[in-house]
This record gives sequence, structure tokens and C-alpha cells, in this order.
Amino acid sequence: MTIDEKAAKTLDELGLADSNGVGELFAEVRAAIECEVDSFRRREASDSDSACEAKTLRDRWLARGHGLIAQIDQNWLKATPKESRGMVGAEFNRLRQYATSQIDVDSLPGARKTTSAARGEAARGPDLTLPGNQRELGSIHPVTRVQRELEDIFIGLGFRIETGPEIESVYNNFDALNIPESHPSRDDWDTLYIDSTTLLRTHTSPVQIRAMRKHGAPLYIVTPGKCYRNENPDATHSAMFHQIEGLAVDTDITFADLKGTLDFFAKKFFGERTRTRFQPSFFPFTEPSGEMAASCPFCGGQGCRTCKESGWIELMGCGMVHPDVLRHGGIDPERYSGWAFGLGIERFAMLKYDIGEIQNFFQSDVRFLKQF
Amino acid sequence: MLGLGVASSIAAGADQVLDLEVTTNRPDCLGHLGVAREVAAAFEREFVRPVYSVRETGKSVHEAIKIGISDLEGCARYCGRVIENVEVRPSPEWMARRLEAVGVRPINNVADATNYVLMELGHPLHAFDLAHLRGARIDVRRARAGEKLQTLDGVDRELSKADLVIADAERAVALAGVMGGADSEITSATRHVMLESAWFEPVIVRRTAKRHALHTEASHRFERGMDIMMARGAVDRTAALIAELSGGQVLAGVVDVYPLRRIRSTIVLRSSEIRRILGTDVEGPEVIRDLTALGFSIEPGPEATWHVVPPSFRLDVEREVDLIEEVARLHGYDALPMRVRAAPPSAERDLGRERELEISSTLRALGYREIIVPSMVDPGENARFTDAEPVRLMNPLTEDASAMRSTAVPGMLRALRWNLDRGQTDLRFFESGKIYTTSARTSEGLPAEYRVLTLGATGLQRPASVHDTARPLDFFDLKGDLETLLAGFESGRPEFAAEDLRYHEPGSGGRYFANGEVLARFGQLHHELAREYKLRQPIYLAEIGLECLLGLNLRARHFRAIPRYPAVERDLSLLVPESVVYRQIEEAVSAVKLAELQGFRAVDRFAGRSLPAGHYSLLLRMVLQSPDRTLTGEEADAASRQIMAALEPLGIQLRGA
Ligand SMILES: [Zn+2]
Repeated sequence: MTIDEKAAKTLDELGLADSNGVGELFAEVRAAIECEVDSFRRREASDSDSACEAKTLRDRWLARGHGLIAQIDQNWLKATPKESRGMVGAEFNRLRQYATSQIDVDSLPGARKTTSAARGEAARGPDLTLPGNQRELGSIHPVTRVQRELEDIFIGLGFRIETGPEIESVYNNFDALNIPESHPSRDDWDTLYIDSTTLLRTHTSPVQIRAMRKHGAPLYIVTPGKCYRNENPDATHSAMFHQIEGLAVDTDITFADLKGTLDFFAKKFFGERTRTRFQPSFFPFTEPSGEMAASCPFCGGQGCRTCKESGWIELMGCGMVHPDVLRHGGIDPERYSGWAFGLGIERFAMLKYDIGEIQNFFQSDVRFLKQF
Repeated sequence: MLGLGVASSIAAGADQVLDLEVTTNRPDCLGHLGVAREVAAAFEREFVRPVYSVRETGKSVHEAIKIGISDLEGCARYCGRVIENVEVRPSPEWMARRLEAVGVRPINNVADATNYVLMELGHPLHAFDLAHLRGARIDVRRARAGEKLQTLDGVDRELSKADLVIADAERAVALAGVMGGADSEITSATRHVMLESAWFEPVIVRRTAKRHALHTEASHRFERGMDIMMARGAVDRTAALIAELSGGQVLAGVVDVYPLRRIRSTIVLRSSEIRRILGTDVEGPEVIRDLTALGFSIEPGPEATWHVVPPSFRLDVEREVDLIEEVARLHGYDALPMRVRAAPPSAERDLGRERELEISSTLRALGYREIIVPSMVDPGENARFTDAEPVRLMNPLTEDASAMRSTAVPGMLRALRWNLDRGQTDLRFFESGKIYTTSARTSEGLPAEYRVLTLGATGLQRPASVHDTARPLDFFDLKGDLETLLAGFESGRPEFAAEDLRYHEPGSGGRYFANGEVLARFGQLHHELAREYKLRQPIYLAEIGLECLLGLNLRARHFRAIPRYPAVERDLSLLVPESVVYRQIEEAVSAVKLAELQGFRAVDRFAGRSLPAGHYSLLLRMVLQSPDRTLTGEEADAASRQIMAALEPLGIQLRGA
């Protein structure tokens, strides 16, 4: 008996009350499908009229009402008494799935749905130049991307990541960092206060204090996180921003380590040809204090709009940790020394991706986010 | 190269005006003299001081004014000179031009002379109309209770007992080091001038200025620390200038009240410490030359040390390391060596970071875009989503950014609206940030901060394409994304419970919890809120407690042998009473603990027409497999019967049975 003949009979007529036999029968049908699809494929390679043949194949198996699958549904499944239908039902479901997947999808990729493309192609075969079925990936925020890149450079040097609270004590944010209320340097930070002893941290430096107290020396850390300033927003300022600071405390840490390590860092981030320049500056928590500038990554130091024709871009403040700050962190400044730096992550992201306005980062415009 | 950044350089006639960025530690550079000293030291040139001489009349200054300091804590030195018979009039052209070049508005020859010296020597002075100093007396003291003063800006000020004032015999006539009084101001009627050049204590000036919300050229300098030696030179220089410009006569002598001499203490500078901090040796002669050029006195000490006394104008230099910075500055930072220094090797892994990366990479793969939103919110809006008290700011920029959020939901809604308003309708966002509340405190007494992950999704799950039809995103898409995320962690089998939050559409909210802790709350935004936020399509939101999720290990990986024998699928077409939910079925099937049951899932569910009233149909697909043999049909049937037996107490039957 051919498959066609068997499909026209009921299971009873085929003498198959026993479930093992049913399994074999379904296996036979699947084998027939496999065989026919295989032979179709071989002919397809040499025959230009394969679309027509594919339709024939599909109609033979899947056509509503008279296709072989429909017949099997009618004669094998529906005609079986309800009590023994469970097993046949399961086998039939698998068969239908198999037939659909083999014939409907594989043989006629463009005809899976009767979409506009499929209707036009029934005669010619699929238009393989159509775009694939893409899945849209999400995206990681550019500030996070840059933060991780910065972190990774320092993780590569063996630094660890430390974090701390954004709502800090005035003491940790200022006094422990050598910025007493009585000194005008405190006015360099426009601060948002919660009350007289609590504030929104203006930098991640209090995490350095916390880490020194918690871990002691030697200590090699970077401290990323959100910071806040009481500043009206403009193209380069935002009341909320992200900072990353670094701190290395050990015996035999010198200004040479500060310079060398930050120069290494700038080359990793902006490219091996980057040159760095250090100039004196002032921060209450470092002594000596400095500013590091790098040769402009856009013009290579020739001068352009981004570097205001100077060829240099100010990147960060840095310095040797002030002995009083080490002391506040519970570290003996006669035995240990340290260097530290602090930089704004948004600024680095703006440089890296050529973003003009800091507000872009916080508007959540999907047309912006998609670019990262 | 010195740390004096040049912000701009503008030509002013034959001169060049440099705008320098002077850091708060260098008040000595708030005048031409100090900058000249720095430049001379850096370029190894001679430092030339301005030359002036005071021609005095025969009458002694002591006949004209009596000066005393009652508050030595606030004022260490007070120099006064008197110039008689001045003619107050506009300054000559050269003076006006120079002042305007540095941004000072010319007023009259007396005031201009004090401002000129302020810019030249960096020392603030004040000129009083001597006729308005009652009793011809000056006393530096704290203000009295209830004392009042109208300052030069026309403001009537209630003085505090902590305010340092300049007083005459009866009343305060100036806020010391901050601003003069209106009453004793120099006017065109002024005949005799009392010139003040003093040294006020930085902290007291700073507090006085802050108390009165004043920031003046004088207070800016005094709070940074002025040169006590300059007080004398500045008064001479200004008196000479006033005499020159106004035709007045300088009375003989200076009232110089300086009872306790301030002496800078000696700092020991070790050559070994220079090497320890800078990583290189700086030659002795260079150290001596540089520090001398900057005005320090330096003597060799024992064993490669120096004894250094900082000049009176460098109050910022107190410690050895401050001297090392001076040496480094003049040596040039760029001339110092470089060395890359890595941390000592450590095998410690940052598990927290690994988990965070797992979360963001999973969400990215699921199509979510990361956003960052402001932490500062409108407390009223915040209160509509949570009872947790936000952390209010004492000095907010604006009312709608006056508190630190205690919920991340409004920020997400604003992000969604921003995009919907701009025609972007298919959105999936995640935000990883903190919420803050005063409803709980840390062990240090700070307001509590919690890390939260917020998801927002709306629009199409699958866009229309040439291959497929569109499908809108629904609750189960969000739920599935959460399940996918949680599956990356050792979250056990997170339990689901239906629970509406106040902002959820009724009957649409749920949560997942594991080990008694809530991992996530999620659901559809209430339609009324959606309308208020002008969100014209269903919005799905999830709040995930990151403290909790990041506390879980990543899914443990261990190999289990791949079964050698084929799996058998069995579909159970169930007729289920409407009161029974899927979780009950799931629990009942799991409770059977069939060794061969590899898994099961619902593949179809429908209700209506052909079914008995009060029931729905569920097609449950089971995968059965044994590690040591091919299961026979009988065994599979037996398994099906066992499962049916477990489902029957729920009133579930096989369809068609
Ligand atoms: Zn450039």
C-alpha cells in the first residue's frame, strides 16, 4: 500500500489498534515526507521551474481538505475512538509540525505566510535579496560604555572598583578631604545640601576615604558613580553627572607613577599616538596637584574646533594624595604615599563620540540611544 | 606651566590683558606684583618691585587719628595714614584706562588709588572720609548686639555679634575686610582721608561675608589670606598715589598697630622626601635657586636637608610637601620622570561587576535600551507612586528637582513620553540606578539608598515586515523577559503572585519573589495615569530590586550527560475548570515527581463554543525520557495516566474522554 492509499483508510481498517503499530505508521509517513522533500531538492538544483514543483509538493501534503495531512487528520485521528485518541493525537501533532516545517518552510521560504512578497513570488521563487528577519538588539548607554572602558583599563592594571553612597556626610565629602568650611576652596563646589551635615556628594572622593578606612594600604581602586552640583544646566554642565576617580596608595608611590600610569591610560583610551602634558594646579586633597591634558584626538595636536585650536584637551585633575587626607583615611603618610585622579565620564563620552551637548545623555531619546 | 592658566589674552591699547585662572590657594597672585614674582622665578629673571616715595608734611598722623584693635583675633595688624586737603575728582586718563583694562570702573581719584593698589600689589585698602569718623578714632572690634550699618551698596544691615567691624568712637563704620559703610564714604565733599590697610583673619572675614551674602574684591582676598607685611607697604604706596592725584598732603608717619608679630615657622625639607614624592632627585642648587626666587628663605641643614621659611605672602605653604610642590612646579611637571605602576597581582574576582554585566547583556539581547535619568524629582509626582519619603534638598535648583527620588517609575514614564511625543512608538528601556529615602537610615545615619533596575516597554513586540505580521507587546512579553533575566541567576524557582501596585491597571500586576524576598514587581500602567502622562498606548513596567538580584549567584554551570535514548512527547488535551489557574496545574504535575518527565509546557489554550460551560481547554506537552532505555508506548501511557491522576482532584479531565 502506498502512503496515499493508507491515508485514505482509517486505523481500524489498517488493523492498527495497537499503539506500537501506530508509532511505526507515523514514522513511515515522516520517512515519505523526508524522501519526497529530498528528491524535490535534488531536482530543484537543476530545474528552473522549482517554484511550480514546490507548489505541487505543498498541495499534495498540506492543501486544506484534500492534502495528505488533512486526510490523515480525518481518517486516522478523527475516526479513532476518543479513549485511544490521546496517543494518535500526539503523533499527529508531531507529524503535522514536521510536515509544515519541512515543506512549508524549507521548500518555500518566501511563502511561509501569504504576505505580499509571497504572493508575488509563488511563480518565480523567493526573492533572496529581501532583508533577513532581524531582531533588534537593545543598547548600552554611552556613559555606561565609556565608564566600563575606563574601568577596564584600570582593572587591567589590577585596580579594583569601589562604590559608595551618593548621599554623603559633609565630613566625608569635604572635611576629610582637607576642604574645611572655613576655607574658600569649599566654594569651588556648588553643593546641594540635605541638611547641615548631609549633602549630595560633589565628587566620588569620599569613596576614597571610605576605602582607605576599610581596606588600608596598599590600595589600588577606581571609584565610578553619580555626583551632583548645584549648577544650572547648559551644554556642558548638568546637575547630575558621572565621575570616576582613581587612587593608588602604596610604599614607593611617586609622582612618576602618577604621570606614567595616567599617560598609559590616555594612550589606551585615545590611541597609542596620544601625548600627555602635566601642569600645576590646586586641589585641597592633593599636593603636588596637577592637570593632565592630552594631545587632541581629533586633530592630533594640529589645532581644531574641539581643542579651540590649542592642540590640547584638558582631561582631568590629579596629584599626590595630601598627607592629611591619608591620615584621615587612617594611613601613615610617612610610610605610604599615593596618587589620585578624577575625571568626568560625560566629558570623555562627549569626546569619544563627538557629542556636543551633555543634555543628550539624560533625555532618553531613542534616536540618540540607537547610535550606541 | 606655573599653574596660572591663561584663560584669555586681549590687547588693550599698547598693553596686553591676560585673564589668569588663580586657584584659591594663591591669593598672592591676585595682583600684578605676585604674578611678576612667579614669572621672574620661572624664567630666571630679575624681580623688580614698584618704586615710590611718600612726601609727608610736618603734621603727625597721630594728631589726626587714634587707632586701636580690641579684637586681636580678627585683626592682627592695622595701618592707617591720613591725607589732608584732597580734591576729590575724576582720575587722570592713564589711571582710568589702566583700571578699565582690568575691569574696574573708575570712580574718583581717591577710590581709584585704592583700587589701583589692590590690582598692583594685591592688597585691599579702604579710604574713609575722616570727617565722618566720630571722635577721630578707629577701633577694630566685634559688632554689638543690635548694631546696624548701612554698607556702600546701600543695604541696611543688622550686624551679628560675630561680625568683625571697623568702628569709630560711636558706631560701626565698615564690615572689616568686606565692605565700607555708606556714611563714611569718600564723596566730592571729602577733604581729609583716613586710609586703612590691615590684615584680617581669613576665617572671620569669610564668615562675615557669608553671613551678609557679600562677596567683594576685598573679602575674596582676605578670606584667602593676605600678606601681613604688605599692609604697611600698601598704605604707603596708596597714600603717595592719592597725594599725587588729588593734591592732598600726607601727614607724617603711619599709625601701625601690630602688637603681636607673626613669624613663619621653619620647615625642614628633606632631599630624601623630594625623591620619595617626585620619584627623582632635584639637585641642591636648583632647590635653593627656585625657592629663593619665590621669596622663601633657605638655609642648608644637616644630612641633605634644608631649613626653609616661607614668605609672609605664602600662607598656603605650611608643610614639607608644600615645598616639594614648589620645587616640582619650577622644575616643570613635564620634566619629571614617568613610570607605569600596576597594582600587585590579585586573583580576586569582582562578582558584583560580573553580575551587572550579565544583567545588561541579557537585557540588551532582549532588545532593551539603557537610559540614565535624573535622580532629582518633583516630590509631589514621586508621592503618587510610592509611600517611601524622598530625600528633600535644602537648596534645590527648582521645585521639580527638589528631592532625591524614592521611586524610579516617574523617570521611566517621562523617558517613554519623551519618545512617544516624538513619534517613536516601539520602546523598550532599562534603567539601573538608585532610589533614596528618609524612611530608612544606614548604619551611619544617612538616608537609605537602594539600587533598582527599572524596565519600561510599549509598542510592538514584533514589527510588521515582508515576512511577518506585526504583534503588539503584552504582559506576557514583559513577564517572559523577566523570567529570562532571572534564569541567568540562581534564583531557584522564583514564585509568582498576582499583586497590583497603586499605579498598575487593576488585575494586571504581579511579582516574583525568591527566598521570601521580592525580586521584581511588574504590570501594566493604570490607564488613568497613562492618560495623564499622555501615553496613548499600553505601558508595561517592572521594578527589580537590584540589591536582591545582585546578591544571587550567576546560574551554576555543571554538565549532565546528554541522554542517549530518544525522548517521547505526549500531548494531554485537558479540559480545565475556569477556576483552576496554570500554576496549580504546574504544581500538581511537578508534585508527581516522575523520574522520566524531563519537562512540560502549555502549547495551546482556548475557551468557548465547543467546550462545556465554565471550562477551558489546555494542551499540555510533556517530554518523557529515560537515561538508560527507550521508553515504550506503554510506559509513556502510564506516565500520562499518573499525571492525569494528579490533575483529577483539580477537576481536570482529558478532552473527549
Ligand atoms: Zn584638536
